[in-house]
Amino acid sequence: MRYDETELRVRFNEVDSWGVVWHGHYISWFEVGRMALLGKFHLLPSDFTQMGYTAPVVDLKCVFKEPARLDEEMLIRTTILEPTKAALTFRFEVLRKSDRKLMAAGEETQVLLTLDGRMLYIIPQDLRERLQPLFDYLEEPDSSA
Amino acid sequence: MPDDLVLELKKLIIATLKLEEVNPEDIEDDGQLFGNGLGLDSIDALELVVALEKTYGVAIPDSEVGERVFRSVNTLAQFVKEQSAISIQRSAKE
Repeated sequence: MRYDETELRVRFNEVDSWGVVWHGHYISWFEVGRMALLGKFHLLPSDFTQMGYTAPVVDLKCVFKEPARLDEEMLIRTTILEPTKAALTFRFEVLRKSDRKLMAAGEETQVLLTLDGRMLYIIPQDLRERLQPLFDYLEEPDSSA
Repeated sequence: MPDDLVLELKKLIIATLKLEEVNPEDIEDDGQLFGNGLGLDSIDALELVVALEKTYGVAIPDSEVGERVFRSVNTLAQFVKEQSAISIQRSAKE
């Protein structure tokens, strides 16, 4: 399974009074990874809206392994698990770029709604077709791991 | 369709959602499955939809149908019976 990678540098406003990244920021870094991956396949939130769907988050977890510090460069690694139901489950890893040390890992699940708030129990064919290139890409072996 | 469909569905719910501390007799036939009843959530609904499709070949497309079908084990059993009857009629015509 392939992870898509994107980079960021820890900013001053992300560090708490103990000199380490405040835990909540890792969640916004997940979002950076997710947008980088989805953007490659024209599957950003605006694209979902255009197709007539939204995809709210219903589950989120994060484990913190090592504290990240100001100015360190991070790699945000993102993938999506092959869906077994009408939901998208993203998996994230935050690595320190210099030594690829795992700093945090997480998982997040989004369900699918129509614009009028109906939750979809089966992934519709039009969306399935749009998602397929993304899953083909993620199925390729991960050379960066 | 077996008469013990209600029991079968309770077992399916327990197995699918890995409700280890729940027995079939703990689930009331008319009791709410979601919210204040058995306390299932939206992801549980998605898991159940997949299991029901695999086991009985019935499709629940969205929450509009789901809210009606998943009201209780009895409403779920009714839906499975209706859908199975429809598919038998369809195959008889073919």
